[in-house]
Amino acid sequence: MNESIKKIRRRDFMRVATAAAAGGIAWRGIRRASGSTVWQLDPEKCVQCGRCSTHCVLNPSAVKCINSYEICGYCDLCPGYLRPGAKLDTGAESQLCPVSAIKRKFIEDPYFQYVVDEELCVGCGKCVKGCARFGNGSLYLQVKRDLCVDCNECEIARGCPAEAFRRIPAEVGYLLKTSQKGASRET
Amino acid sequence: MRVLRTLLVALALFSGVTGVAFSQFRFPMPEFESGYQHPQMHLPLPKAGADLIDMAVLFCVLSLSAFVVLKHRSRRTIFMLAVFSALYFGFWRKGCVCSVGSVQNVVEAVINGAEAVPVVVLVFFVLPLLFALFFGRVFCASVCPLGALQEIVAIRPIQLSRPVEAVLSLVPYAYLGLTVLSVATGAGFLICRYDPFVGFFRLGASFSMFLVGGIFLVAGVFIGRPYCRFLCPYGVLLSWMSRFSKWHVTIAPAQCVQCRLCEDSCPYGAINTPTPEDRPITRREGAKRIGFLLLITPLITALGAWTGSASHEVLARVHPTVQLAGRIAAEERGIYSDMTVASEAFRSGDKTIPELYQEARTAVEGFRHPSAWFGAFLGIVIAGKLIALTAVRGRTDYEADRGACVSCGRCFVYCPVEEENGVKGEQEKAVRE
Amino acid sequence: MASRENKKKRFESNESARRLATAVAVVSGLFSFIVCILLIAHCAQMRAMKPLDDPVLLQLRQQLADAPVPNEELVEHIRALDLLARKAFFTSQAHLRMGGHLLLGGVVVLLISLRLSARWRARPPVPGDEDLSKEYWRSGTRAKELIAFAGVLLVIAALLAAYMTPMRIPDLPLKEARQVPAVKFPDWETIRQNWPSFRGPGGYGVAYYTNAPADWDGESGRNIRWKVEVPLPGFNSPVVRGDRLLLSGATEEIREVYCYNTDTGELVWKRPVENLPGTPEKAPEVGEDTGYAAPTMAVHGDLAFAIFANGDLACFDLDGNQRWGLNVGVPDNHYGHSSSLIAYESLLLVQYDDNSEARLMAFDVETGARAWTVPRKQISWSSPAYIHTPLGVQLILNAEEDVDAYDPRSGALLWTEQCLGGEVAPSPAFGGSTIFVANEYAVASAIRLDTSGGTTQTEVVWQWDESLPEVASPVATDEHCYIATSMGEIVCLDIETGAKVWSHEFDKGFYSSPILVGDRIYALDRAGTMHIFKTGAQFELIGSPKLAEPTATTPAYLDRRIYLRTDKHIICIEETSE
Repeated sequence: MNESIKKIRRRDFMRVATAAAAGGIAWRGIRRASGSTVWQLDPEKCVQCGRCSTHCVLNPSAVKCINSYEICGYCDLCPGYLRPGAKLDTGAESQLCPVSAIKRKFIEDPYFQYVVDEELCVGCGKCVKGCARFGNGSLYLQVKRDLCVDCNECEIARGCPAEAFRRIPAEVGYLLKTSQKGASRET
Repeated sequence: MRVLRTLLVALALFSGVTGVAFSQFRFPMPEFESGYQHPQMHLPLPKAGADLIDMAVLFCVLSLSAFVVLKHRSRRTIFMLAVFSALYFGFWRKGCVCSVGSVQNVVEAVINGAEAVPVVVLVFFVLPLLFALFFGRVFCASVCPLGALQEIVAIRPIQLSRPVEAVLSLVPYAYLGLTVLSVATGAGFLICRYDPFVGFFRLGASFSMFLVGGIFLVAGVFIGRPYCRFLCPYGVLLSWMSRFSKWHVTIAPAQCVQCRLCEDSCPYGAINTPTPEDRPITRREGAKRIGFLLLITPLITALGAWTGSASHEVLARVHPTVQLAGRIAAEERGIYSDMTVASEAFRSGDKTIPELYQEARTAVEGFRHPSAWFGAFLGIVIAGKLIALTAVRGRTDYEADRGACVSCGRCFVYCPVEEENGVKGEQEKAVRE
Repeated sequence: MASRENKKKRFESNESARRLATAVAVVSGLFSFIVCILLIAHCAQMRAMKPLDDPVLLQLRQQLADAPVPNEELVEHIRALDLLARKAFFTSQAHLRMGGHLLLGGVVVLLISLRLSARWRARPPVPGDEDLSKEYWRSGTRAKELIAFAGVLLVIAALLAAYMTPMRIPDLPLKEARQVPAVKFPDWETIRQNWPSFRGPGGYGVAYYTNAPADWDGESGRNIRWKVEVPLPGFNSPVVRGDRLLLSGATEEIREVYCYNTDTGELVWKRPVENLPGTPEKAPEVGEDTGYAAPTMAVHGDLAFAIFANGDLACFDLDGNQRWGLNVGVPDNHYGHSSSLIAYESLLLVQYDDNSEARLMAFDVETGARAWTVPRKQISWSSPAYIHTPLGVQLILNAEEDVDAYDPRSGALLWTEQCLGGEVAPSPAFGGSTIFVANEYAVASAIRLDTSGGTTQTEVVWQWDESLPEVASPVATDEHCYIATSMGEIVCLDIETGAKVWSHEFDKGFYSSPILVGDRIYALDRAGTMHIFKTGAQFELIGSPKLAEPTATTPAYLDRRIYLRTDKHIICIEETSE
């Protein structure tokens, strides 16, 4: 009887010790622990390769194009909306976007507003490429927080040739382009 | 074009006069006369506090599970909880963050101090282990969404023979070792990549992922919980904790009467039968055998370490840089005429080929020591399994194996013994002793 | 807490319920299977079709782009196809989603019915009666054997894998790769043996070959190898690579690039520069003395670059194919843009200093992609030069007030000296470890570079404020610097002290920049007469061969030849042995 009680007491001690050790590791981890992080695309590094639309585990991709109105030039001849060399009309043969997700609206002479319809956008980046090359770069891709499921290892991040994906704090959520910058680094 | 030209000429004329400092953008900020305002950009943020809810739900379901498994003892309730977990942690939270994957984050934080692990991941790692330390593998029973899926499809389980099961149960150790190896050498998160069920939870995956998941589910109909028993790396940790748990699920709610009715009840082969009284070898002989095994354990471990180190180049292939370098080298030699997505992406980037080769060589070299550790680990595991199979522990009752039992509760209904005086079986046994 | 009665009930079978459940299971199983097959087929089809990247549509679009006049029928065709493609894409997405949900529903029903069917067939357990003891020990032993066997197999497999599939990553030395980032681009030795940009290799007025002709006569044609008329005018100087000589010319409406064979003067090709993205409809106003093609071209490896007064920047290879082109923006420049181009390693460097948005731009030479842009402060008409220092290559730019030095790879500013003034057209000179800059309405300054401390320290060691150049850039040797003024005076100054060593008046003024060829200076005046004199503390004139044609450009000095552009012609001078 004494033996078994000793055995039980020893076992209990080991359990408590293990629990304490686990707690210690947890504590050490928590001290270094951060809030949760989410995946986001850095528009300064993006090379508009088109993999955002194909590599995301979701279909359609959680990456969508957004237009920063502060940066947008509201140009008549928008290089993100129209194909190079296209006539100034909105026919399918002139539009760059393969799903016709950019909607153009006349504001006043000579300015036009360009809005991306996110229901249609697939995140292929063709408009981003045009805008970055010949326009202001106001069209760029971002991971939408309401669509992304925050995989532990992002498939797009793995496949991005420019290593433009990184983890940022969840409260920040987005890496937005601002209009105040020094020497620009354009691709 | 006319408006553009006007714009540019106006820019050229007025800029000198007004001296406005334009930013580096090609086209200047429009000055709207009609009173148009930029629309506000509306970017949705993730729901704050989602993590807190997850942790709370985890704790509640774990506690409930422990209660049902140990006290309430109702298979139906356990199953309902499992369905709930499959729906909440699986389909609603899309299977991520999961405890199985959290192993990688914790290993990464321990080995590579730079990455801090989020609190929720840490909780998902530690809490089920703590519960296992006290209550057994109640996490597996009805909280883990992967286990829950397999539990739902286990309809016609067959019994596997003991030798086969013994060998297959080595695979989770290998997978755990490989996962740690992959994280430690920076090769990425294997568990996430090869999780068969997350595709179903997300309702989105590549074709091969769906195929593998489908195969696992179909196999799970006939072989109970194939992933849990023969792959899950977190299960290894849980089984370690569970072996020392204070309370554990029992087949009989009170004293077992060896009626043998429960022998075929466990779909996962986790019931240990009483040891037969007649032994083929004497105790002394048995002790000698164990002594011999203990003696050669260091040799087996050393053999494992040596094999691991010798095959570090093979293991290094799990590293994406090494894979890419191998592919590029083969393309350069002319073995392949076309390019993969990865090699094409590399060639359009800034890195030169010699730089890639150098990185790959460094990565391969970095696998040498971790591979040796991995091999040694496997050696110890094999030696340990052999010793465990040799060491006979006298058992008179039908018990749930402390390491392997996932506390699913199917055996409850097979046991004719009823609770007497509301006293649980373990405590009664202890008192009797 | 199930009582015995409840447990018994668990094992009762219900035949009719079981049959129903089985039937439902069969139906839902079949349904799920069919939906699964359909989904797979649909996916495969979509992958093969790729509606958004349809090759037919792409080809039609290309056709439309190439056609000079938009073909209405083609436009309609494209629109129709595009609509079909988009419809196909979105309906496929919807189908996939619906199919997925149907499959999920079917599988759920299947599972439920299967479980119920199994439940209602449940057989109560029967206690086994065979003796399991022997089996117990045997299975234990077999398990051990199997584990040991598996372990050995693993070791053998691992070793086999290791020795039969070695990692074959070639051992390419990294250093090699680093020093030659773009193997195709010429190194400094090759560059020096050509005339790649304005004022020679590096752009600071020093020729590599020292055997230039010293005697010729334009009127009689003596020692004139060939002389060809250039179709359009331009104040840009010739650049030479191998046997190709390049010039550009432009009027308000047309811009062209010309490539001549250096041995025969034959026009190998000429190409227009037009319709670049962003090209304005009308070129800006320029001064008469500047023209529409003032900046000199640059040739780098197999690529030649030209920029014009309206901001059109184009790249051609030496066979005449346009590689890329874009408009960098119309400059706000009251005389007209005149800074010449220069290339370094993989970048084309464009000094674009105007009144409103002065900047230094770098473009990738192969693709024309912008690498970086650095904002600058003042307007300028001078051209960049790059020098080799112990700390690396530095790109030197003059502007209205500042002399700036940049890292040509990154655009990082290395140092600045504020020592100029007026409207600066002369470009920097370099001799010993001194940079020499000068401009009319300012002073001439000697900037000494000290690179001993790991960073470049600069100091203006002396200044000279008498005869100063308006257009022609000065040139320097290790001992002296030489200024050629628009009034016709050439002054030699001591590079250490700034003391005037000698000066000489010529009849006509100098717009062309004097060039150091060996131990001589070749200075071409506005009437086309070349004044050749020795470097050194004594003025010694060697010869003054005439061309009798007005010139304002700076010639190129290659092996035994001089290529010289006058207002109307391009001329090759070579001494033939008599």
